Parts: sequence; structure tokens; C-alpha cells
Amino acid sequence: MALSSQDIAQFRTALQDAVVRCSERCLYQSSKWAAELLNALPETDDGDASIASSPIYTPNNDSEEAALEAKELSKYLLAKSFFDCHEYDRCAAVFLPDSLLSSVLNSKTEATPVTPKGKEKAVAGSTSSRPSTAVNLPRLSQKSLFLALYAKFMAGEKRKNEESEMVMGPQDSGTVANKELIVVGRFLSAWFEERAGEDGDAPGSQGWLEYLYGMVLAKEKNDEKAMELLIRSVHKYPFNWGCWQEMTSLIPRAEDLTQIIQHCPEHVVAYMFHLHASLELYQQSPTLAHSLERLLSIFPTSSFLLTCNALLSYHSKDLMAAEQHFSRLLSLHPHRLDSLDHYSNILYVLNLRPKLAFLAHLCSSVDKFRPESCVVIGNYYSLLSMHEKAVQYFRRALTLDRSCLSAWTLMGHEYVELKNTHAAIESYRRAVDVNRRDYRAWYGLGQTYEMLEMHTYSLWYYKKAAGLRPWDGKMWMAVGSCLQKMQRERDGIKALKRALLADSYYDTGSSFGGGGDLVGGRGAPGHMDPDILLQIAAMYDQLGEEEEAKAYMELCVAQEDGGMAADEDNMAESVRIHNDSPAGSDDGAEAGDDSRAREGTGVTAATSKARMWLARFAMRTADYHTANRLATELCHDGVEVEEAKALVREVRSRLEASGMLSGGASD
Amino acid sequence: MARFLTPAKLGLLVLIELYTEEVVPSTAILPVLSFITSHLTERDSVTASFDNASRWRKAEETVNLVITVKDFEKLLGSYPFLMGMPGRKLWDQFLSKLWNINSLDALHVFIDSLSGMLVKPNAQEPGIKLSRNSLFGAFIRKSQVELGRLPWHETTQLWKDFVRYRQPTAHYLRRRVPGFGRLSFDHVLLMGEQQDWDPENISTLASVAYGDMLVGGSTSTLPVSTDDIETLLEFQIEQMQKYGNRVPLEIRHQFHDLLHDASMIPSLTHYLNYLDAWKAGDYSTAFDLLHRYFDYTMQNRDRPFYHYALMSLATLQADFGCYKEAVSAMLETVSTARENRDMRCLNFALDWLFHFGRAHPELVRHLESNSMLGAGKESQAFLRVKAKETGMWPLWSSVLLTEAQLGLANGDSIATSLEFMVRSSQIVVEKNMKGMYGSQLSLASSLWDRLGVAHLSATSCEVFLRCHTRDAPFSEELGHTCRLALLLAAKGKYEDALRKLEGLDDNSLRSWKASQYWHKYRGIIKLKRDLRHNNLEGAEQLLSQLLQSKHDDAEPDLAFTIDILHVDYFTRRGDLQAAFAKVDSMLSELRGENKDIALRVRLLLWKVFLLDQAGRTQRGFSIAMKAAGMAWRARLMPFLWQSMGCIANILVSLCEFEAASQLLTAIIPRALECESSHLVSQLYAYLADANMGLAGKMEPKSAKRTEYMTAALAAVNQAFDHYSSIEDINRQCETMAKKAMIMKLSGDMVLAADYAAAYVALRKSAESLSHGEQ
Repeated sequence: MALSSQDIAQFRTALQDAVVRCSERCLYQSSKWAAELLNALPETDDGDASIASSPIYTPNNDSEEAALEAKELSKYLLAKSFFDCHEYDRCAAVFLPDSLLSSVLNSKTEATPVTPKGKEKAVAGSTSSRPSTAVNLPRLSQKSLFLALYAKFMAGEKRKNEESEMVMGPQDSGTVANKELIVVGRFLSAWFEERAGEDGDAPGSQGWLEYLYGMVLAKEKNDEKAMELLIRSVHKYPFNWGCWQEMTSLIPRAEDLTQIIQHCPEHVVAYMFHLHASLELYQQSPTLAHSLERLLSIFPTSSFLLTCNALLSYHSKDLMAAEQHFSRLLSLHPHRLDSLDHYSNILYVLNLRPKLAFLAHLCSSVDKFRPESCVVIGNYYSLLSMHEKAVQYFRRALTLDRSCLSAWTLMGHEYVELKNTHAAIESYRRAVDVNRRDYRAWYGLGQTYEMLEMHTYSLWYYKKAAGLRPWDGKMWMAVGSCLQKMQRERDGIKALKRALLADSYYDTGSSFGGGGDLVGGRGAPGHMDPDILLQIAAMYDQLGEEEEAKAYMELCVAQEDGGMAADEDNMAESVRIHNDSPAGSDDGAEAGDDSRAREGTGVTAATSKARMWLARFAMRTADYHTANRLATELCHDGVEVEEAKALVREVRSRLEASGMLSGGASD
Repeated sequence: MARFLTPAKLGLLVLIELYTEEVVPSTAILPVLSFITSHLTERDSVTASFDNASRWRKAEETVNLVITVKDFEKLLGSYPFLMGMPGRKLWDQFLSKLWNINSLDALHVFIDSLSGMLVKPNAQEPGIKLSRNSLFGAFIRKSQVELGRLPWHETTQLWKDFVRYRQPTAHYLRRRVPGFGRLSFDHVLLMGEQQDWDPENISTLASVAYGDMLVGGSTSTLPVSTDDIETLLEFQIEQMQKYGNRVPLEIRHQFHDLLHDASMIPSLTHYLNYLDAWKAGDYSTAFDLLHRYFDYTMQNRDRPFYHYALMSLATLQADFGCYKEAVSAMLETVSTARENRDMRCLNFALDWLFHFGRAHPELVRHLESNSMLGAGKESQAFLRVKAKETGMWPLWSSVLLTEAQLGLANGDSIATSLEFMVRSSQIVVEKNMKGMYGSQLSLASSLWDRLGVAHLSATSCEVFLRCHTRDAPFSEELGHTCRLALLLAAKGKYEDALRKLEGLDDNSLRSWKASQYWHKYRGIIKLKRDLRHNNLEGAEQLLSQLLQSKHDDAEPDLAFTIDILHVDYFTRRGDLQAAFAKVDSMLSELRGENKDIALRVRLLLWKVFLLDQAGRTQRGFSIAMKAAGMAWRARLMPFLWQSMGCIANILVSLCEFEAASQLLTAIIPRALECESSHLVSQLYAYLADANMGLAGKMEPKSAKRTEYMTAALAAVNQAFDHYSSIEDINRQCETMAKKAMIMKLSGDMVLAADYAAAYVALRKSAESLSHGEQ
């Protein structure tokens, strides 16, 4: 998607405009995002033209609005300065005095709750033909109104933060709400009613107020309406990244995303949204990679897109590539802390301790009071097995930002390590409350309950996790083992077969050609996890279906010599996602046998067990030669030598008993 | 500022690791171990501090180790490394270990791996293993715990400090180790350079992570830990309190550098500054700093030590002459200490008050009347009992000495005083209180002085100076030196005396009080010389300076000496009226209080002398008799002989030559023991007079007359010799004139003319001396 230089210039102007507009409205993060993107555009030659039209103060296109803005300029500047000084209430009061706000509040409470649209009709003075609110809304430009209401909203957020108790303290229930939401919401609903056209759209509106209203509704858990407003907002002004982010957080599942993307405008930013939202939903697919590539061709140095790239690799379990992407990103933007917490997760799993330490050092030198820094440091401490300190730093991250999802989950993992299951469950629960899409927290919950031997709960949470990550074998394996423990072997076998399938999905999924011949657990190509196979076999054994059990056992043993069609990048198999397993201690060890994975797993505990079972089975079925062979192999494997030797002796004695001839022949 | 761990400590850990790996050659083991040990223990037992300069060495070593890695090089550079290539030093091995800690993670790994050096319970392993509770083991374990306690940003600070600490050795390694690059200090950066990061990005990355450290900003703080600072502080305070001298300038500067913009300054620092200001004589600053120290320590555990604070305050105020405030503060101390049942503090306070009361009776008189403390005697007895009960040996000994001193001052039995002294001495020796030798020997010296055995007095001073100075505060050394100098001056060895004073330690003299004392003694000795040289101008100048500061002096003896010299000055000026008035006023001052009896005797003798000078010799008879009686009772031998001399003089004036002569002949041998040339020469002069008188009574030209004349001449000669030894120029002239006269009377005109010529020459030299020329 190569753009002509004219397109680029146009894009540049639009982005410049976006930066100014966002910062005019004190949407700092959106402004930052736009500015970063702006500077990621490649340089073009026609520099002078853009200098001439450099918009530091962009006039509003709507003449009416422009007139209002010009009139309010000095008041607006005052309000903006207050906002910049974090004096939110004062900022709001510049345009919307408290008396006005309280009257808005009162008029609504008096109104009958049954008809939110039709409230008391206009009172004295209002000659408007439209349905009007009880109070006259002041005539303000949308910019000023947005700023004032946003300031009110921020004031509420600030107060909420101040009122919340210590993270995970005895009083901390996480239920402190933003008290200004009501008034801001009421005001905005009144405003939109005042100008509602047909199909509920406000024609003169420029998108910002929709964004704010959407945000308020989202906080009030009115997700549908919020989404509607946010979509309206992005239609009117697509460069407001904050709006897209709000939308992302409202999308619970990948299916919803595909629906919503149809309603979105055709725009470059919309593609970015799609990419971002998919990554948030832990998606990965060739199409995503492709669209990312195209976006990168437009913005070759965008740190945002590079982060997406790294995350994409991460989600497709290609940790090495993800590490390299992040490493490059780090060297390009050493001061940028955003998403470095993901990077630290990757380093944790890869067990690159020096690098993780360096990263933590870097983060703490840049800003030690950023949640990302704290998470990175916490991860490092976790790797050092200093779990108390890790908890301390995750807690600090949460104090700085309560919605820091990864910190909640990671803290849960640490509590599991500390054997504090109550706290672990609580942290996981809070993580899930913040973001219901976090499969790691669900999985953690399941695991914790499994530790407490409450399998019904555990199963429920594992299922949740598996629902979020249907192609992650680990989830299904957990479900399967949980079912096994609940004596539901049939379901367990199904789940485990699913796990086998899921594992092969990544193998084929990441190589584009493969496609999906994912039929039949046994026929699955490539290499399979011997543990799962063993487990399936064991369950069949339990059910008394010996033939099936034997087949799986043999398959398990066969894994030693390796899958015939093992892919290049199946190392992801052995390296499990760190966050999936709070008991991370065994992960590091496994990372070591990457190289061997290609040729098969070699002898593992699982295959030895399978071999032992097979040997015993052979004994039972009087197939002494097979038994002898297997037992001798076992002796060589050196896993359960004593037992194997006993077995060999027994075989020998049986062979001798059954007949010298065959015994002699075998020797 | 880190609490405990510093790059230097990491260096020590590496050194310990080297030792446990048995790569230290056997010749180096002892130096290496003692190096580590000396930095791990607070006290430096190896270098017993023989003189002032080496006392501070420990502090310097600590500071140096903290500042630079060079100390390690000094230690290790000379030893070969056994297992490596030939030519490699232990220092190389140390460096390679140090540089193996090549990332923050490696630092953690290193500290973690230290546990391997410790002895495992029930395991026999080969190699050197450290016991868990040994000095090294405890150090290792403490380091591990401390690393665990550090918050992350402090860990990174430690790492950065460490990188900077070893950076000076990079230069050396670059020559030795192939492939040693610019980024070798951080493995991650080095690997990044080899992989995918381009150099420009790396340098920005490094600068973000390491800040301005790589550029080598001089503003950065030194990597010192609270632990080091506290050790240093305690050391300095101990030095100051024990020896009473100030911190040498260079150490003070270094210490200041260490504290340079440190965020956390231990409150002890204020105490140290207070001590320094106190010693420097900066009253207002000292006061301010003391209060600051109290304010900073109030919040924590030091609260129960309120009375100690008050005690410090009182001593401070007393030192700067605010006696009234001092007394009230000390009384407060006494009552608080009583409330808190802190016997030690109470005893100290009472002891202090007792001594203070003796020095400044007018200030405590009203206190005694309302019986809060009881009279001096009672409190003394109380102290003695209490000191014995609570086992405060220094106090006990000092109380005994005080009692001995009191006995001496009151003119009581010498034997009793001696008994007290012996008892005190027994305690000192039994309890090995080296610090008490100063006062013990000082009292002994003054006892011998009073008894007129100047030689023994000087000897005890010498003994102290030679054997006990290293354990004693500087003020005692100074006191003894001054006493010796005075003794020398009495013998007329002014130059030696001054040289002795000059030889004292410079740094110790930076203390304000000591330097004041020192200056005064120098002034007194010079004044004595000037007076004897009849250099009245110079004397006046010195006197005016000395008199100015007389009143803020805590030492009553010193003030008295100055006053006496003042009288002497008046006499030499010929202003007998003023001299007499001065002596009278001093006497009346003394009469009120029970001051030292020796002083009174001395004043009485001056009175007699002044009467004699005024030509009313006989009026001094009763005074002289009284003085003699007092001196005899108190066994003040030098004064006894002097008063006898005065009586002899009076006898001479009454023409009782025979009696005078007999008296003088009896006492002169004893007086010679006192080694006071002035006294002896005076006695000889009197003897000459008596002999001349006797000769006058004999027949002219008789053998008897000649015999007496010869005796007189001999006496005059002796007097002349002694006068010349103390360079008393007036008297020299006088005796020379007498000699000439005797010669003339005996008819030896040639000799008479010679003596007359000598007299003229003497006059001339006297003239020049009196103008201050040497």
C-alpha cells in the first residue's frame, strides 16, 4: 500500500491537525499517539508547502462553532491552563458553574425514570421547538463544553483514586466509583437530546462529545449504548485514538470485533484499530500480519506498529522473534516505556536474566513510578525467586494504575508461589474484573482452585480460559486433567484430544501454506506432547479400553524419535507461555531442549512411563519378547532402572518357565 | 545513599572469594586477610595509635577504600597468581573476577553464589569454607540480606556505582585482555552491539540507563553507605572525645566529600560537627549544632538521654564561660538523672558540679546554702561511696585524687593526701585505667613541687609524657608539657621551655581551648623572660594581652600566675604602691574562700618582699613569720625557705648578722633541692649581706673580717651565678656591683676595677636586653 507523496502530505496535515485538536481538548494520550504516528511518516521533499500551512491553531470548519470559539477564546485559555495544572474542578467551573451542574442533576432526578427521553417539557423562556430539558444548557462551543465536562470527569477520576484504599488492603473492595459520572452523563444526554436529529444522531456534533459520552456510558457498564456512541464518534473524527481504545476495551470476543469493524469507517486508523483490538484479544493470523505489513509500509518507523509487530510474534508463540522486535524497538526508543511489560514477560519466559535486569534498570532510570516499570521490576524479582519483593512491585504498579491488568495477574502468580491462595484468587479475580478477556487470569484461577482441590470451580475457570484461547493446547489440557480428576474420563479424553489438535494448530497456523487438515487426533501431523498422550492413554486404561490405551501409549513412545514433519519453529511448543503457568519454575528447564525438539522429545518421564505400561501390558498379554525389549530399553533410559530390572528378571523367569527354546532363541 | 552495600564492599567480597578458592599465594594470605579484617571490624587493633598522626590512619584507609579501587591494587599488585599464566598478578585475577560481574543480573548471581563459600551443616566439603558466624561468614550473610532489602532503584544505584568504581581499571584491562571494549562494563550492551543494535542507539540506550555517569560527571556522589558513614562518624567522635583533639583538615574534607549532597545525613554528623565547633571555640555554632543534634534525635530512641544532652550543654556552656547557665543546666541534669535513676549520669554530674564549685565558688555558694547538694565535703563523701557502689572506677579514682588535692590545698597532713593518692593509684593500676594516669601523675608532680623536690616533679611529668600520652586526652599532655616548661623556665632555660611547647602536635592545637592554654603558657614564659631581662615594654605588651583573657579562663592557677607576674612587673617598674595594692587585693580575695594555702603564702611573701623593697624591711617581720608558720604546717618547702630567707633579711636589717647567717647556712642546702634559681640566688644574696654585716662587726683588717669577706664574696658569686642562669639582669648588675665593692673593701683594686668594668659591660648588655634584643 504505497502512498503517493500527495497522500502522505495530506495525511501529515490531518495528523498535525489531530495532534492540535487532541491537545486542545487535553486528550494527552491520543495526542501523543497521533504525534508519534505523525513522526513515523517518511519525509517527503515538498517541505515548504507544509510549513506554509502549519496549523498550530486550527480554525473550526463549522462557522457557527468557529464564531463561538472565537468568542470564548480567553475563557477557554483560562480553562485549559487550569486543566494543565490539574485543577479539574476549577477548569470545569469556568464554563459550567456548579449551580448549573446541580440543576442538571436535580432536573433529572425529578424526571420520571420511565421515560428517559421525554422529560418535563420546556419551561419559561425556552422557545425552542425541540424537546428541551428542564434547564437551559448554556450555549457553548463544543470544544469548551468538551473540555469542561472532561475536566469534571477527570475530577471524578482523581477523587476516585484518592478514595480508594490500599491495594488489596482490608478495605479495598475495588468498588469505588467515579461520582461525577452521573452529572456528566446527564448533561451529555440532555445535550444530545437537544440536538437529536432523526436516528438519534446529533448533526452538528463533531464527535468529541460522543466520545466522552461513550466513555461515561462504558463506565456505567452500558456497553451497547457506549459502543454506538463511540462508533458515531469515530465516524465523525477518526483520528481520536482514545476513542478507538475505548472501543477496544468494550469488545469481549473476536467475533464481536468482526461485527463491529463492519460499522467502522474505512480509514487507516480503523485498520490500526482492528490490528490493535485483535492483538488485545490474543489473535494472530496471516491476515493480521499482512495488514500490519501494509501499515508498516506507510509508517515505517512507528513505535506503535513495531510494538504491534512484536506482540503479534508473541501471540503466535514465536518468542525469539518477539524478543528481537522488542529489542530493536528498545534501542530505537530508549525512553519509551509503553508495553515494555510485555517485553519483560517474554524475557522471563526465555530466561534471559541479564537482559531482563538491564531492562528493569533502564525502566527504573527513566521513570520508576510508571506501572510498566514496576511490572518489569516485579518480573525480574520473580525470576530471582524473590516473590515478596515481586509482589511489592506489582502492588506498586497497581497503586499507580489500578487498571493495570498484567500486574493483577502477575501478582496472582506470585501469591500462588507464596502459597497464599486467598490472595492469589483475589488478585486473579480483580484482573478478570478489569478485563474479562484475560485468559491468563482465568487459567490462574483454575489452577489455584485445582491446588485447593475444588475441581468444579477449577473446571469452570479452565473452560473460560479455553473459550478465550480455543487454539491453546495448554488450556484444553488443563480442562482435560481437571475432568479426569472429576472422574469424567470421556469428556477428559475429548478435551485432551482437542489439546493435541490445538498444538498442531500453531504449527500449521504459523506456516501459511498448511491450512487446516486438522482431522482426527491420531492423524495429527507433527509432533505431539507425550504428556497428553500418556494422559489420554491412562484415561482409556482407566475406562478399560485397553486397545485404545495401547495405541496412545505407543504413540507416546513414538514421540521419542520425533514427529516426522516437525516444523522449524516448533520450539514454541516446549516454551510455554510463562503467564499460563504460575508455577514457572519448570518452564526454564524446558527451554533448554529446544534443539532436540526437532528430532523428537527424546526420553522423558512420560515416555518412560508409557514404555513401562506397555511392558507391563505385554507381560499381561504374555508377549514376553516385546516386554523384554521394552524393559531392556527402559534399563537404558535410566529413568526407572530398578523397576525395569525387576521386570527384566521377571520376563526372564517367565520365559524360562514357558519354554527354554524360545528363551534361548531370544538371547 | 545505600545502607550497607557499596562497591568497595563488593570488592571485599570478591577478595574473600579469591581467598576461599585458594588462589591466594601463601605469602599473600596474611596481608589479604588482615586487609579484609581491618575493613570489616570497627576497631583497628593492628596499628595501636602511637602518635597523633597515625591515630587517624584508620579513617583515611576507610575513606580511601570507599573512594577508589586503588587500594586493592596496592594490596594485590605485588603478588603472583599461582594458577594462571606466568607474569600474571593476583591483581589480574581480582580484576577478572570483578569484571565478570558484567551485568546487573550477574551482580545478583554473584551475591547469591556467595552462600557456596559457607559451611553447610553436616557436610564435609573440600576447600576453604567459612563458618556462618565467623567474621567473613557474617559479612557474607549480611551482604546477602542487605541486597534483598534494597529497593530496586537502589540496587541499580549500587550497580552504577560499582561500574563507576571499577571503571578506572578498564584502562589497565584494555592492554591485557583482548577484546576488551568500551561497553565491556555491561554485558547486555556488549551483546546488543554484536547483535542488532547500532552503535548510536546503544550509546543513547546506555546514557538513558546509566545517566551522566558515563560522561563522568563530577557532580555524582561517591558510593558510600550509611554503614561506612556511621563507622567513620563513630570513629571520629571517639577520637575527639577520647583525645580531645580536632579532626585533621584533610580527613574532614574527605568526609565532607563523602557526605556531599547525600540525601540522608545521619544525625551523628551533627554531633560530630558540634564537637568540632566546640573544639574550634565557635560558641554560637557549637550551641546551634548541639541543639540541632538534639532535635534530630528527639524522635527516636535517644529520648531517654535527655539528661546526657543537658550535661553536654552544661559542659559546653561552662567551656565558653557561661557559668550561670552551665550551673542551671547541670542542676537540671542532676534532677533529671535522679528521676530516671541513672546513677552514672548523676555521679558524673555531681562530680562535675563539685569540681566546678571548687573552681568557681561564688557561683555555687547560694546552692550550698539551700542544701540541694550539700556542702563540698558531703557531696565528696557521697560521690566516693556511690562511685564504689556503682563500680565507676574512674570516678572513684578521681574523687580520691580530689580529696588528696583538697588536703594539700588546705594544708592538711601530707601523709593523708599521700594515702589518698596511693589508694587512687591502686585503683588505676588494678582496673588498668590508662586514661587516669594523667591526673594521677599531675597530682604527684604538684605534690613533689610543693615538697620542694623539683626533680621528682619533673620526672613524673616526663614519665607521663613518655609512657601514657597515647591513652590520654591531649589536654593532659598539654598540661604536663606546660608544667615541665615552667620548671625549665624556673631554671632559666627559656629556650628549652619554648621549644618544648613548640614541639606539641599541630593538629591537636587546633582545638580552641588547648591553643588558648598553650598560647598563655608561651606568653607567661616569655613574660618571665622579659621581666628578668628588664624588658618592660615587651612585658607590658604581653601582660596586657594576658590580663585581658585572664577572667574567661577556667584555670584559677593560671590567673594567679599572671597576677603575680603583674605584681612583679609593677615592682620592676618601681611602682611599689600599685604592686602593694594589687597584692593586698589579691590577698583579700583569697581570704574569703578556702583557696589553696600555697597561694596565700606566696602573696604574703610578696608583701614582705615589697616592704623590703620600699625600705621598710622590718615591718614585714610578722608577715614573714606568719608565712613561715603556714608554710611549715603545710610542708610547703620552697616557701618555707623563702620565708626563712625573708626573716634572715629582716635579721640582717636588725643587725642580727650572726643569726641570719646561721639561718641561711642551715636552709640553703635544702633550698638547692628546689632547683629554683631565683630562690637560691636570693638566699645567697642574703647570706652575702649577713656575712658582710658580720665582717663589718669584726675588726678592720682582721683575719675574721677577711674570712667573712671571703665568705660574702663566695655567696655573692653563687648569687651571681644563679642570677645569670635565670638571666635576671638587674640582679646580675647588683651582685656584680656588690662584688666590686667587696673587692674594693678588701683592697684588691685591680679586681675591683675588673668587676666594675664587668658591671659596665653588664649594664650595656642589660640595656640591649631590656630593649628586647637577644
